[in-house]
Amino acid sequence: MSQNDNSQDDLMRLLLAVAREDREAFQQLYHSVSSRMFGMCLKLAGQRDLAEEALQEAFIQIWHRSREYHMDKGMPLGWMMSIARYRTLDMMRSRKVRHNSGEEHLEHIADGREGPLDESLRSAGEAQLTGCLDELSDVQRDSILLSYYKGLTHDELAQVLNSPLGTVKSWIRRGLTALKRCLEP
Amino acid sequence: MKKTTERIEMLAAEYVLGSLEGSARKRFERWMVDSAKVREEVWFWEQKLGLLSAKVPEVSPPSSVWSAIERRLWRHESPVGSAQSRANHRWFWPSWSVVATAAALVMAFVLIQPSPETSQTGLSGAIVQADTSDPLWLVSEAGQSNLLKLRSVAASAADTGKDYELWIVPENGQPLSLGVIPVGGVHEVRLTKQARAALSQSRTLAISLEPLGGSTTGAPSGPILHVAQLYEL
Repeated sequence: MSQNDNSQDDLMRLLLAVAREDREAFQQLYHSVSSRMFGMCLKLAGQRDLAEEALQEAFIQIWHRSREYHMDKGMPLGWMMSIARYRTLDMMRSRKVRHNSGEEHLEHIADGREGPLDESLRSAGEAQLTGCLDELSDVQRDSILLSYYKGLTHDELAQVLNSPLGTVKSWIRRGLTALKRCLEP
Repeated sequence: MKKTTERIEMLAAEYVLGSLEGSARKRFERWMVDSAKVREEVWFWEQKLGLLSAKVPEVSPPSSVWSAIERRLWRHESPVGSAQSRANHRWFWPSWSVVATAAALVMAFVLIQPSPETSQTGLSGAIVQADTSDPLWLVSEAGQSNLLKLRSVAASAADTGKDYELWIVPENGQPLSLGVIPVGGVHEVRLTKQARAALSQSRTLAISLEPLGGSTTGAPSGPILHVAQLYEL
């Protein structure tokens, strides 16, 4: 944990320097977080070229918006990862990524032997949210994790989980409500 | 739609999760601009759901991504680590001499012969770039009408989501915006008396890269791409 705190301190220092338009700090910041960020963009988009473009857009935004960062927005890494995630989602949606790759992509997700979500991500998610995912039913948890990690829309979830749209929406909403109750201090 | 607490909580969670889409997502982004409470709810979920990203395997991006970022941010300048570290230019307007020194890297000032249409006395000049043989824009002024004409020659379109904005750099004080300028064709700007007076004194124009529609702060907020000195013909 202390190692994590140290690296967040380093990132904070770099981000403050970037807010003063220090280019070398910006390059260091890129080298510190780009692999994590790219891994996340790639997992989400499922397409290398789109993930590369999203990473590029995210860092352009980080350069321009570094002055807007403050602690209320969370730790520096989380703030930057959120920017990258939104850029990736925007690009996926505007280019209708799922429609282009079509059913094949969704079947591939649904094909995994452990169900639609690979087991490593499911257990990682559980560990990170301090047991709160246990409070959810299996379908609530899987809907939320599939949205988060793969960027599936309500329609796509309904298709993957082979359930009516209204049902899927209510799984997500109830799941999020339960999560909120559990996570709030 | 009313912003009840329950609705804010649910929409913020779905926004961060990504399942809020299309026009509902856009509408919620406007709520975020309007309301601190909405933003705080979003930050809560970003921090909580963000924990889910911690265990996604890292993948090294290709080096072309960093090159593209550098090119987009500083394509007219020298790379990181060079002697030209001009850290603060975006946040204040430096004195003309500083601008001139910085701009000397990419600028050459040229004198343009008057064309038939600018036969009357007026200011004239060109906005040029060192590595491009043709000028980006030609600038001329019809003497009596306070009309500044910019003719696009070799200027290329601004990056997606960006506009070029034209400024008068006065001898003293803040730059005066002459609005965003399109690429292609001839663009005319009518100068106010005050703007014409400032331009007569300094004879200096600048172009900065701004968000679509131009700077919202009244001063250049993006990088200053070009500075050009005009001549009286």
